[in-house]
Amino acid sequence: MFAVIYIPDFELQAALRLEPELHSLPVALLDDAPVKAAVLQLTGPAREAGVCRGQTSTQAMARCSDLVLKTRSRAREETVTAMLLQCAYGFSPTIEATAQGVCTLDLMGLPAALDPQNWAKNILDALEQLQLQAQIGVAETPHLAWLGAKQARPFLLAQDAEPFVAALPLEFLEPAADILEILEMWGIRTVGAFLALGKENIAQRFGPEAVDLFDLASSRRVRPLNRVVPAEIFEEAMEFEPPVESLQPLLFVLRRFVEQLARRLELLYLVVADLQLRLDLASGEAYERQFVIPAPTRDVETLFRALQTHLENVRTDSPICSLRLGARPGRAANYQFVLFNAALRDPAQFHQTLARLTALLGSHRVGTPRLVETHRPDSFRMDLEGITTPRDQEPCAAQNQEPSIGPALRRFRPPLPATVEMRAEKPALLRSPAFTGPIAAVRGPWRLSGHWWDREAWTRDEWDVQTHHGELLRLARQEEEWFVDGIFD
Amino acid sequence: MNSDDASGIIELRRILSERFPHARTWSRSAPAKTHSFWPTGLPRLDSLLQGGLGRSAITEVASPGSGMGGALLLRALLRQCGHTGRLMGLIDGSDSFDPGGLEDSVLSRLFWVRCKTAEEALKAADILLRDRNLSLIVLDLKMNPAAQLGKISGATWYRLQRIARQSATAFVALTPQPMIASAETRLILESRFTLDALTEDQTQLLAELKFEMARSVAGEESQEAAG
Repeated sequence: MFAVIYIPDFELQAALRLEPELHSLPVALLDDAPVKAAVLQLTGPAREAGVCRGQTSTQAMARCSDLVLKTRSRAREETVTAMLLQCAYGFSPTIEATAQGVCTLDLMGLPAALDPQNWAKNILDALEQLQLQAQIGVAETPHLAWLGAKQARPFLLAQDAEPFVAALPLEFLEPAADILEILEMWGIRTVGAFLALGKENIAQRFGPEAVDLFDLASSRRVRPLNRVVPAEIFEEAMEFEPPVESLQPLLFVLRRFVEQLARRLELLYLVVADLQLRLDLASGEAYERQFVIPAPTRDVETLFRALQTHLENVRTDSPICSLRLGARPGRAANYQFVLFNAALRDPAQFHQTLARLTALLGSHRVGTPRLVETHRPDSFRMDLEGITTPRDQEPCAAQNQEPSIGPALRRFRPPLPATVEMRAEKPALLRSPAFTGPIAAVRGPWRLSGHWWDREAWTRDEWDVQTHHGELLRLARQEEEWFVDGIFD
Repeated sequence: MNSDDASGIIELRRILSERFPHARTWSRSAPAKTHSFWPTGLPRLDSLLQGGLGRSAITEVASPGSGMGGALLLRALLRQCGHTGRLMGLIDGSDSFDPGGLEDSVLSRLFWVRCKTAEEALKAADILLRDRNLSLIVLDLKMNPAAQLGKISGATWYRLQRIARQSATAFVALTPQPMIASAETRLILESRFTLDALTEDQTQLLAELKFEMARSVAGEESQEAAG
C-alpha cells in the first residue's frame, strides 16, 4: 500500500502559512514574473468575488477592491517542502518528494492492523498544526494513491481499484487540451468511459500520447519510489513590508516561528540544541546571533524567553526588513549538558539570568575569573565559556591546596593615585583621596617585574603598610608613581 | 525598634484579629518555617549560627571598620564551595574582589558579577536571587561609599527578602555597618588585623575571627557574643 500527501494550492498555502487569518479574506497570489505578474492561485472569498487565475493584478483589483495581493515566495515554498517531507518521514521511513506539495509514502512495514484512516488523521493533524491543509489518498499503487489524494476530502482509501478509477473525472489524468476537448465532444467524461474505448481504438484516433494516458489509467504496476531522506534543516523566515521598527511585532512573529519549529522537531523526536537568529536591516546590514540552549528542549516558553530576554536589550540602527530563525536539532537523550554541568538544576533558567546580567552590566563584568599566567598583579580574565565548560568536575580536595597567608586583599580598580613620602627608604607618609596620614608599620618592598623581553616590560615595588588609623594597605610604586592597590580585610 | 513600638504592633494585631477573625495575618498564616542551613565549614561560625548560613533568608555580616576579616570570610565561603562542588554567586558591589591566589578549581565554582555601584549590585542581586541554581549568593557592599548605601530604601531589602524566601539559596550581605532591617541573622565582625597578620596562615586567621550575633533567626536582638 502507498499513501500520497497532497497539499492543494501549495504556493498559496506556503505564502499564507504564517498569516492563517488571511485564508478567510480575498487573497490572490501573484507569480513572481518581473512584468505583468498574473494571479497564480486565490482563496475562496477571492474566487467568489470574481477573481480568476491568469488575471493581472490590475484586472483582479478591478473585480475586487478589497483583494489582498501576495507575491509567490520561493523561499517559503522550500521551507514548506522541507516541513512536508520531515512530517512524512515521521510516519514512514520510505518517502518520495514526488512533486511540489506532493509526497508519496510506502506503507510497507507498518503494522498490519494499522487503521489507514486513523493513521492519515494523525498526519493531517500534524500538518494542520504546521498551518497546512492537506489531502491524503491510500491505494495499492503510488499512482492510484495520487489520484485518491486529489479526490480525497481530506482522506480517501481506494480499496477496490477498478470502480474507483472508472468513476474518476477524465481531467484527473491531465490529458492534453485538444484530446480532452475531443473526448468531451464525444460525451466521454470519466476515466471508465475512456478505458472502455479500448487501447487499439484510442491509438488509431489519438496517437501515442493518448496511449500513454490509457496505460497510466489501466496499469496496476508499482513503480519504485525515488526515496529521499529529509535534511535536518529547520528554518523559518519572513520579510516585513513595511520594515519593523519596534520589538512587539518582532516578538509576535518570533513566537510563531518558535512554535512551528518546536512542532516540526517534535515530529522527528528531536529537540532544539541552538537557535540562530538573523535580522536583515534596511541599511543592508545584518544582525546575527546564536543562542545555545543549555538544556536542549523544544519547550516553546523556554526557547522564546531566551530570544525575548536578548532582544529586549538590542538596538538596531535601522528598521528590520526580514527575520530568519533557524534551529539546530539535537537529541534529548545522550546529550551532554555543558552549562555548569550537573551543578545547575535549571540550566535554561541560568542562561536567561546570564543574559539579563549581561544586559545590565556588559559581558566583561559577568562570568568566572580565570587567572592569567603572569606575575603581574590583578591579571585575570572573565570567562563566560568557562561557565559552559567547567574546568574541574570533581570538588577540589582541601589537602591539595597550598596554605594561603594573611588576610585577603580588596582591590581598588583602578588603583588610587597617591603621594608617598619616604624616610629611610621606607614609606612614612601617605596622601591619597581615601587615606591620608602617617604610616605606622611597613613590610616590603616586594620587587616584581615581567615581560622584560618585550615592549610590555614592567617593574614595580610593593609595600604592605599599616596606617596610623589601623588600615592595612598595599602600596605600589611603578614608574615613579605611587598607587594604593588595595586594602587588606 | 523600641519596646513601645513592638507592644503597639502586638496590640494592633490583637485588635485586628478580634475585629476581622477570618482575615489572614502574616504571623498566623505563614507556615512554620523549617530552617535548613548552608554549612560554612568554619566550626565557630557554624556553631554560632546553629548549623550554618540560613537558606531562604538574608544573613548580614557587618564589619564597621577596615581589616576586620570580611574579605577573608568571603574567600573561606568560596573555598567551601570548591570543597563541596557547589556554586557561589558573588555580587561585587565595588568590583574589589581579588581572585589572585585562589586555585583554578575553586574559581571555577564562582560566578562573579562585577558592579560599580550599590544600585547596580542590588539590581544584579534581584536578578540572581530569582535564579534557583546557586546555593549561595554573597552581596558584597563593604567597599561602597556611604552615599550610595544611604540611597538604598528599606523596601529594597524587604523585596530581596521575599525573593530569598521563595528559594533555597543562602543569601549573605557584607556591609560596612548594620543596615538590613529584613536580615534574619546579623553578625558583626569584631576582629581587627594588624600588619603581623599578613604572615599568618589564613586557616589560623579564620579560626580567630570574632563574631557577635546581633540578631537571631526570629529577628530578636539577642546581643549574644561569641569568640
